[in-house]
Amino acid sequence: MKKIVALLLCISMCLSMLCVSAFAEDVPSVAIVVAGGLGDRSFYDSANEGLEELASKYGAVTKVIECKENGSMYLTGLADAAEACDIVFAVGWQFVQALPEAAEGYPDTKFVWIDNALEGDGMANVMSVVYAQNQGSFLVGYIAGKLSKTGVVGAVGGQDSATINDFMVGYEAGAKYANPDIKVDTRYANGFEDPASGKECALALYDAGCDIVFAVAGKTGEGVFEAAKDTGNYAIGVDSDQKYINPDVIICSMVKEVGKSVVDIVENLDERFQPATIWTADMATGYIDVGYGDDTMTQQVSDELKAEVKALQEKIISGEITVPTALN
Amino acid sequence: MNWESIFNVGLLQNTLRTATPVILAGLGCLMTEHVGIMNIGIDGMMIVGAFVAVLASYFLGSWLLALVFALLSGVLLGLFYGLFVVKFKSDEFIIGVALNIFAGALTVFLLRTIFNVKGAFSDPAIVPLPKLSADWLESIPLIGPLLNNNTLLVYVSWVMVLVCWLFIYRTPAGFWLRAAGEHPQSLRAAGKSPEKMKYLASVLCGAFSALAGAHLSLGYLTMFSENMSNSKGYVAVACVIFGRANPPLVFLAALLFGFIDALGTRLQSVGVDPTLTKIFPYVGTVLMMVLLAIRERAKKKAAQAAK
Repeated sequence: MKKIVALLLCISMCLSMLCVSAFAEDVPSVAIVVAGGLGDRSFYDSANEGLEELASKYGAVTKVIECKENGSMYLTGLADAAEACDIVFAVGWQFVQALPEAAEGYPDTKFVWIDNALEGDGMANVMSVVYAQNQGSFLVGYIAGKLSKTGVVGAVGGQDSATINDFMVGYEAGAKYANPDIKVDTRYANGFEDPASGKECALALYDAGCDIVFAVAGKTGEGVFEAAKDTGNYAIGVDSDQKYINPDVIICSMVKEVGKSVVDIVENLDERFQPATIWTADMATGYIDVGYGDDTMTQQVSDELKAEVKALQEKIISGEITVPTALN
Repeated sequence: MNWESIFNVGLLQNTLRTATPVILAGLGCLMTEHVGIMNIGIDGMMIVGAFVAVLASYFLGSWLLALVFALLSGVLLGLFYGLFVVKFKSDEFIIGVALNIFAGALTVFLLRTIFNVKGAFSDPAIVPLPKLSADWLESIPLIGPLLNNNTLLVYVSWVMVLVCWLFIYRTPAGFWLRAAGEHPQSLRAAGKSPEKMKYLASVLCGAFSALAGAHLSLGYLTMFSENMSNSKGYVAVACVIFGRANPPLVFLAALLFGFIDALGTRLQSVGVDPTLTKIFPYVGTVLMMVLLAIRERAKKKAAQAAK
C-alpha cells in the first residue's frame, strides 16, 4: 500500500513538473504572497483576482501563499514562492525586512513589491508598485464631506503605517476641500484581520458624532460596515468596490486596482519590470478610482455629486489639484 | 482635553460588549480550574462554537437552533478534552494547545469547503441573536442605554454568573466539583468519582466557551471570520486566575479587561499613539497577574507570621 502511494506521488510530481516546463517557454509562472489572508473582499482579494485572470487568460501556473499577518511567515512565504515561480508579487507593506532578504537569496526570480517602495537601489530583481491611494481617498473624502450632516467624518485604519496614513491624509484633504469646517476623526484597529476590533473603533467614531466612516483596514473593515448598519450611519469601502457587501450603508468605495496592476505587469513584463524602480499606479493611469456599485443598488451619492467628483478627478489628473501624501 | 468624549455611556457600552465573551468563556474556564485542570483550550472551543453557530444559523434560519448546535459542539469538545486529560491523563497544556491549533485549522478548512469562501463568511441569511430592550428603562440616564439593547447572551452571562456561583458554592455537586480538584482522595472516600466531576467540569467549560463563541459570531458581529476569537480565550484564563475562579470576581476581572480595551480605543482621540493603546489590555492582564502574585505573597507571609 505504502509503495503504491509513493509511486502515485512520484507520478503526480513528475506530471506537475511537466506542466510547469510546458508553460515555461512563454507564460511565466506567477505567485502572490499576501501578508494577511485571502477573503478580505478588499486588498488581498483584488490581487488574487489579478492572479486568477492570468491563470484563466494565459493558463499561467499560479501560486498563492497567505502569511496571515504572521511575521515569521513573510520570509518563508517569499522563499517558497520564489522556489516555485518566476515572478513573485509580495502584496503588502509588511514585507519591509523579508523582501530584500528573499530577493538576495533568489537572484533569478523577479520580485514585485505591491504597496510599498523599497528604499535605496541596487536590487536588480526587485521593482516596487505604489498606488496613489491619497488621490482616491481625496475623492471619497470629498463625498463624505458633502454628505455629512453632523460635520464630523471618521476613518478606521488597520494600523498606523505610512501606506495607511496616505489614505488618511488624502481623505482629510478631500473632506476639508468639500467643507473647510469639517472635522476628521481617525482610529486605528488591531490589524487587518480583526472585524470585532474594527466594529469597536467604528462604534467609537459614530459615538463621537461621525456619520460617515471610511474603512481602511481590509477584513477589519467588515466590522465597520456592521457598526454602520447597527447605528444607522454610512461607511465607505476600500481597495475593491465593496458596495455589494451592504449597499444600504456603503455609499461608495475607494478602488485601488491591485489585480489590474498585477495583470499589467505580467502582460508587459519587459516594459513594466524595471529593476530598482518604483511604479506609481495613480488615477491618471486608471488604477485609482471611486466605485459606486451598480445600478441595482441603492445610491446615496447623487448624480450631481458624482459629476462633481468626476470633475475633481480630472483636476487631480491634470495636476490642478495636488493631493497631500504621507509617502515620501 | 475633552474628557466627556472619552468617559461617556459609549465607553461603558463598549466595556460590556468586549467583556461579555470573556465573561462567558471565563465561567467555563473556572469550572475546570476548580477541578484542578488548567484549560488553555478555551480559545479553540470558542472558535468552534462561533463557527457552528453561524453554520446552524445560516442553514436552519434560527438563532435558537444555532445556540443549541453551538452548545452541542461545545459539549462534544469538552468530552473530547476530558477524554484526553482525565481518562488518558495527557498533559493538559499540550492538549489545550493542540485543541486551539486543531480548532483554528478545522474552522478554516470547513469555511473553505462548506461556504467556499476564504477569510470570512457573512450573509444576510445568517440570523443574529435578538437584541432585548425595555421601554421603561430608556428614561433612566446612564443605566437605561447601558442595560437596554444588548444581545441576549449579554443578559444570559449575568444570570449565569449568579447561577455558577450558586452551583459551585451552594450545591452538593459544586462541593464535589471543588473537592475533585482540592482533595480527590476524600471525594473518592465519600463514594464519589473525581473523574466524573472532572468530566462534568470539562463539558461545562466546552459549553460556556461555545456560547462565548456564538456571542462573537451571532451577537457581537453577524459573521464568521477566521481566528475571530483573537486570543480572548487566553484573556479569560487570565481573568479566572485573577478572580480566583470565583464567578463574581471573574466577572469583575473581565469587565476590567473590557474597560481597559474600550478606554484604549477612545484614548486615540486625544492623541495617544494607537500602537500604545493596542497593548493596553495585555499590559492590564500582566498587571493583574503581578497584583495577584503580590497579594498571594502577602497572604503567605501573614499565615507564616500567625504560626
